[in-house]
Amino acid sequence: MTDSLLAGALSQCSGDRLRQLAVSDTGFVFDPQTGQSFTVNATGRLVLDCLKRSDGLEEAAQCLAEDCDVPLELALSSVEAFLMQLGRYL
Amino acid sequence: MRNWRHWKVAVTGINAHAENPGPGLAVARCLVEHREFRGSVLGLAYDALDAGLYDHDNCQSSYLIPYPSAGDEALLERIKVIHSLEGIDAVIPCLDSELQNFISLRSELADLGIQMLIPSRDQFNLRAKNHLVDLCSKIGVAVPRSKMLTDPGFFDRAAREGFEYPLVVKGVFYDAAIVYNAFEAKAAFSRLVGKWGYPCLVQEVVNGDELNLAGVGDGRGNLTGFVMMRKRAVTDKGKAWAGVTVVDEALHATASKLVRALAWRGPLEVEVIKGTDGKIYLIEINPRFPSWIYLSHAVDRNLPVAVLRMLAGEKDLQLTQHEPGTFFIRHARELIVNLKDFESVLVNGYCGGDAVDRSA
Repeated sequence: MTDSLLAGALSQCSGDRLRQLAVSDTGFVFDPQTGQSFTVNATGRLVLDCLKRSDGLEEAAQCLAEDCDVPLELALSSVEAFLMQLGRYL
Repeated sequence: MRNWRHWKVAVTGINAHAENPGPGLAVARCLVEHREFRGSVLGLAYDALDAGLYDHDNCQSSYLIPYPSAGDEALLERIKVIHSLEGIDAVIPCLDSELQNFISLRSELADLGIQMLIPSRDQFNLRAKNHLVDLCSKIGVAVPRSKMLTDPGFFDRAAREGFEYPLVVKGVFYDAAIVYNAFEAKAAFSRLVGKWGYPCLVQEVVNGDELNLAGVGDGRGNLTGFVMMRKRAVTDKGKAWAGVTVVDEALHATASKLVRALAWRGPLEVEVIKGTDGKIYLIEINPRFPSWIYLSHAVDRNLPVAVLRMLAGEKDLQLTQHEPGTFFIRHARELIVNLKDFESVLVNGYCGGDAVDRSA
């Protein structure tokens, strides 16, 4: 179930799609394709930034692990959880 | 020909009912607030309570004209009188129901020196609700499963014909209702036919985001200017109450395809649903600017001004890059009308800021 949710989220949140998002310093996110807007907290902004700069989940997790000084496994599960939530908004 | 910047432009559809405003006042506002426009806007109204008659910030003067049902001859006679008093350079018709009359009068008005950027009768008819499905199937544009109706008995056998509730029932010109069963459907059918005549269109509901594109066609198959918007809040009638500019390539491609197929000339609005499957479904094509057209001025892609430039033969419409993220929120406010102005409209069919006798 989680795998299929993650696969769905990944297809929704391709790198190109994420790079379209306008993200402000306050965490306000605007999707220029749908006109939807939502907010993310500081950690969410960091994950989003890592995802936009990375080519895949592992690379984004590596980026997050380094920025937050946490184990890679923890960063990976956090990125996956964030992506599944983000997929509902895109 | 006078420079378009100094034209007197007549605009119709200046009614402003809060839940379903006509586009005319928004078109007038686009013109009046444009940095290069030095001319004036003349409002043409159908009813003494049309707000634009009294909104002198946007319509310097305004006149009553006969309802569309009075026919094109009555409209021509009235426009001749107004033209003799005012000297009209161009008309921007803003209502679906009057366009047939203006199409009939195109050459007569041109002879008077009055220009219009409007479609031909064939173009107008091809995009009508009762022909839209045929057009779309020819050019590969998806539409929700649809059927033209004259018999409300259809709603009892809808399932047998492959239609599932909820359905959308639409009037031939305006208005629509979402219905959840045959009982509601028949009531909506009676109301819409009573108001707008036969036939009605019935469509399956497509779930997704509602996107709109306002644009201008040059009559040679090119979409020369456009603004795309996603509705963020709607009225009871489904009209945009708030919206935001978006960039959606699929919507732009669909609108371009339609304009090319129709060789559309003049303003239009393309309404689509972007389904949860990512596919664009055409809902309808309106043959005029939408009431949210002021958003085009806000994003520096002023489409009513683009119409004037095109009529004047300018090639460069000076539209900036289409940017997403500009919102509009509509609000209602009261115009204060003095008794003298109201009397002038009822007695003379005229309201303006000067004392010239226009009772002719």
